[in-house]
Parts: sequence; C-alpha cells; structure tokens
Amino acid sequence: MPPSHSVRRAALVLVRGVVLIAAVTAVCYRIHLNSASAALLFLIAVVLQSLDSRFWEAAIVCVLATASLDWFFIDPLFTFTVTDPLDAVTLLCLLIVSLVVTETQARSRSQAREAKRQRENMEKLYRLGAELFAQAPSAPLGPPLLEPFRTRFELDAVCLFDQASQELHEIGTSRGDLAAKTRDGYISGRNAAYPELGISVRSLRERGTLLGAIGFEGLRNPELLAPALAGLAASALERRRAFRLASTAAANARAETLRSAILDALAHEFKTPLATIVTAAGGLEATGPMSPDQRELAGMIESEAARLGDLTSRLLRLARLDREAVKPRLEPADPAEIAQGSARRYAKLWPDRQISFHANGEPGEVRVDPELMSLALSQLLENACKYSPPDARILVELSAGEKAAAIDVRNDGDPIPPNERSHIFDRFYRGTNAKQTAAGSGLGLYVARKIALAHGGDLALLDTVQDGVAFRLTLPLSKSEASVAE
Amino acid sequence: MPSDNCKVLIVDDDPAFRRALLTSLAASGFDVAEARTGEEALLVLRDKPCDIVLLDINMPGMGGIETCRRIRNLSPRIGILMVTVRDAEEDKVQALEAGADDFVTKPYRLREMIARLHAVRRRLSPPDEASATVLRAGALTLDSERRLVTKDGAEIHLSPKEYDLLSYLFKHQGALITHSKLLQGVWGAEYGGELEYLRSYVRMLRKKIEDDPSQPEYILTEPWVGYRFRNPADAESPVSDL
Repeated sequence: MPPSHSVRRAALVLVRGVVLIAAVTAVCYRIHLNSASAALLFLIAVVLQSLDSRFWEAAIVCVLATASLDWFFIDPLFTFTVTDPLDAVTLLCLLIVSLVVTETQARSRSQAREAKRQRENMEKLYRLGAELFAQAPSAPLGPPLLEPFRTRFELDAVCLFDQASQELHEIGTSRGDLAAKTRDGYISGRNAAYPELGISVRSLRERGTLLGAIGFEGLRNPELLAPALAGLAASALERRRAFRLASTAAANARAETLRSAILDALAHEFKTPLATIVTAAGGLEATGPMSPDQRELAGMIESEAARLGDLTSRLLRLARLDREAVKPRLEPADPAEIAQGSARRYAKLWPDRQISFHANGEPGEVRVDPELMSLALSQLLENACKYSPPDARILVELSAGEKAAAIDVRNDGDPIPPNERSHIFDRFYRGTNAKQTAAGSGLGLYVARKIALAHGGDLALLDTVQDGVAFRLTLPLSKSEASVAE
Repeated sequence: MPSDNCKVLIVDDDPAFRRALLTSLAASGFDVAEARTGEEALLVLRDKPCDIVLLDINMPGMGGIETCRRIRNLSPRIGILMVTVRDAEEDKVQALEAGADDFVTKPYRLREMIARLHAVRRRLSPPDEASATVLRAGALTLDSERRLVTKDGAEIHLSPKEYDLLSYLFKHQGALITHSKLLQGVWGAEYGGELEYLRSYVRMLRKKIEDDPSQPEYILTEPWVGYRFRNPADAESPVSDL
C-alpha cells in the first residue's frame, strides 16, 4: 500500500474515533450518566473503534476516551484531577480494558491477515508447481521455466544457473546484478541473502547432488518463500536431467539394438548368398567335365567367395566380442605352446613372411582361455603380416618375468607414427598407414586388448623398437592368479 | 566320390541356395530331396524316408532347432547335419543338444560338406569299425580288446582314463562331441560341467599322440563347444581354424 494512502487512512480512522468519542460524551453528558455507566459506553465505543484499526490508532482513541471520562464525568468536573480513589479505579479499568481489547483485536486481525497471505502463497506455490510439472521434460531451460516464477510471485527478476549445461538464464530487470550473485551462489554451493537489494539466492540440490542455483529479486517474504521456490526449481531441473539421462540411455540402447540387428542381418543376408556362390562354384566341377581354364576359374570363384565368407565370420566374431563382456574360461596352459602354435599357424597361412618363434627361458604356467588367447594372438600376427612387406621377418618372442609372461610380436614395416600411438587401441580407430595398406574393421586391436585385460594381463605397443612395430601381450603367471579377473 | 544312393533332404528357406546345393549334391551322386520349411520337411520325411537331413537353423515357422528335435524323435537313426550362418557357440550347442549329429557354418566348400555327409553316414551305417576290436586313424591304431594304442607301430602308454577318452573319440570319428556329452560318455552320467578336468586330459592325450600338440591333427578343438576326432584319411575334414 502506498505511504500517502496509508496516512490518509490513518487520519480518517482517527477522525472517526474522535467523532465517536465526542458523540458518546455528548450523549452521556446530556442524559447525565454517572461515571461508571459512561465508562461502559466509552468501552463499547473503543471496542467498535478497534475492530478495523491498527493498534496505535485504537490506542489513541482509548486515551482520548479515558481523558473524556475524567474531564466530563469525574469530580471535580472539567479538570483532569481525580479525588475519589474509586474514580481512579474506574479510569484505570477503562484504560487497561480498552487497551487489552484493542491489542487483542489487532493481534487477531494480524494473524488473520498472515493466514490469508500464507494461504495465498500456498496457492501460488501449488499453481506454480502444477505449471512447472505440466511442462514437457524436454522443454528448454530459461524463459519457459523461469517465467512462471516471475509472474506468479511478481518478481523483478529471476536467474537460474544450470550445472549440467553450465549456462546462466535470466529474465526480468535486475538492479543488483542478480546473475553474478546467482553464479557465486552456485560456486560456493551456499544460500545467500542481500536484503538491501531484495535478492535471495538458493543453491539447488536433489538428494545431495548440486544441480545449480537460483536467484530471486523482489521476492516478498523470502525467508518463507525462497526455500519452497528453490525446491520447485530443483525438482524441475532434476526432472529435465533425468529425462536427458533416460533419453541418452534409450538412444544408446536403440543404437546397440540397431547395431546387433545390422550384424545379424549382415550374417544372414550376406553369408547366405555367399554360401550359394561357394556351393555353386564347387558344384560346377561335379556337374560335368570342364576345361582346365574353366576349372581354374571355378576354383577361384569358390576360394575367393569362401575367403569373403571367412572374413565376414571373423568380423562378426570380433563384433560380438566387442559388444559383449569377455568372460574367459580359464585353464592352465603353457604360454610357449600357445605362442608357438599361433606362429606356426600363421607361417602356413602367410608363406611369404618369415615367421619365427623364440623363447627366452622357461616361463611357468598361465591360466588362460585358449580360444580367446589364440584369437588375440591371431589378431597381432594378422596385423604383423598385413602391414609388413613380403619377405618381412616376424618374430614371436616369449619371455618370462617373476609374475608375468610376455609374448612379443615384432615385425619389420613402417613404424606407427607417434601421434597415432595413443589411439591404436581405440575402438574403430584405423591408422593412416593401415587405411592405405590393408582392409580392416578397427576392432581387432581393441578386442585383443580387451581379451588381455580380461585375463588380468595387458596388451601394449612397445616404444623401444626403431624399425618396425612390436606389441607385447602380458599374462600373469599362475602364482599371481589372484589378479586374474574372471 | 561314390555316394551310393545316400538320400539327403535339404531343408532351407533360401531357394537359390537350395537349388545350388541340390544340383551340386545330385551331380556328386547323392539322391536329393528338398523342403522349404521345417513343417514341410516333416511331411516329406513321412512319405520318403532319407538317410541324412541338411537342416538350416534359421528358418521361418517352426525353426531349425525344433524341427531337429521332432525329426530326432521320429527317426532316431537318421543323420542330421545343421547348417547355420551365425558362428555362435550357443547355436551349435543348442543344435547338438536337440539331436543334431554335426553342424556346418555357411559359407562352406562343397567338398567339406560332402566329407561331413560321408562322416555322418559312416557313423550311421551299422559300423563294422565300432564293433571291430582294432580301429585305425592315420598312424594311430586302437586295439580295444587289449586296450592298446600304437602310433606307427610303437606302443603309446596311456592311463586308463586317457585310454577311455581316446577310445570314445576314436569310435565317434569325425563327429563333433560337446564337452558335456564327452564327460558323460567317459566319466559317467553325473559329470557334465567339469570342463577344466576334460581339457587337462585332452592336453595330456595330445602330448602323447600328436606330432605337434600345438597344431593337433587328431583331436581338434571346436572352440567353446567340444572336440572332434579327425581321421587324417578324411582329406576334407576340417582343421580347427583357431
């Protein structure tokens, strides 16, 4: 309420009180009432006056009524002197009772006003909450979220700092740099109040997690309202955050489902026609006599289609290991046997590479899944063969430490550029040389390392080699099998 | 290759593949029939019994596994060779447990398929070999009466369990035997999950009978599924690709 209006209202109330007391005085004087009866009428007048006036307004009327009683009805008349003690008691009773009644009235009115304000605030909060939760969880932060706060609580400005996006959103006109204070509130993680500026800043938390901060400027009754408003803002933020997480998880799950579906489709749709080609090419010879050239061509169709089929199977197997957790079925094994077996197999597959095996000392026993380990070593040997020139030397070397056995696969060939070394185990990463030299999926080394790690070992690129490339696969020896993760 | 009236039923939903396989197998001397689905296969088998069914796992309708189970119930003596495009162990184990004798993964070479068909047929025909007291595979001989194993004429000393294991594998030459079937066949019905136990016996056996245990020629591993005893005389028998 504006001050001028308040003063006018107070003056009117006072004038009305004075008139009321004057009227009571005139009536009592005219009909010659005694002091006790007049006191009762004055009391009624005071009670009536206090019904809709503030305490100090009513108190002035109380004093006026007491003075009027003394002047006009208590001997000696027309003086403020009191000679009879009974009259003094009458005056005192009037003053005390009228003041008490006035005070009680004022208090109950104030409480009613407060209760009404509370009710209104509750209603506003309820409506704000309903409005916020009616918003789609995908709605952007900023004005759509803040506008309801400002309009419902008649704020000058409101500002929100969102932890997830690290963005500040502000609406309204601030005179006290609300944005900076809100950001400070987020950084400190504490609530703050600037009463001189009418600003209140609250940190926003949900189950102990800091989500951001919100600042209000021009909020009436901030002690009561700011925590409730901040609670609503935190819930709205949390709701958006949960939606974002769920959307991301759903998108990931969809992508994974799609990938699985593509892989299965690849397996079925790609391998079935390949099987037809291989079978038909193999059947050509059986169906009738062929010239040597025809036989050679049919053989080429068969073997190349079969190779394509093998490549597809291999890619699918890698993709499966990539998709699923590697669960090795461990059993005791001789690392020399595994490494030597892989080297011999690749020596047969790649006769134009010089693949050899060498063991330094006799390492103990390891616990591995032979199939998985063979797959990891095959990947290293496959790479060594693919990315080295014909006649290149490829050495598979086994050495033993105290706790682990190491299988190194070294090959001549272009070293891996320094800027690519940290990425070669990344999923789907393919080096520049690799892209130019041979086909690949970018999964092989990633899966090989995943297998090594699942055995409690590791796969690393050795940086001590100048000419060529060397990978080291380490496996814990059986004595240290506590470190094996199954 | 003599395939004297071996009757084969091809069950596959892909017409091009069926046609290619039918022509190729017929040209190789097999008596071939075809069916598009599992349901149709059961009808065909009712009218025209055959020796071996080539059964695709992924088919619309009843599906390969269920078809396999029903065919096995109807004809315990028929040979079932499952064909799959997915190189997944669970598919293989499921197929073998449903009663399949073996499986091949698409794409495969015709020679390999024919070798598998012959291997399945050999096991089905009342086996002279299985009842014979002396079995041969490459350089190995197994005399079941004397419980004696020799390689190139020289005796190989085996523990009783090693002998039982080799004897079991020998009698199921060419067949893929799952870990659990092998454990139950050699150790007893109460076994089945003791994989490490089985693997250590296979390792010991390989050391004794193979020229190079890291490149086995007789006892081949089918990764995560089981083992297959290969007779080097079967030229097209597969060698483990791992």
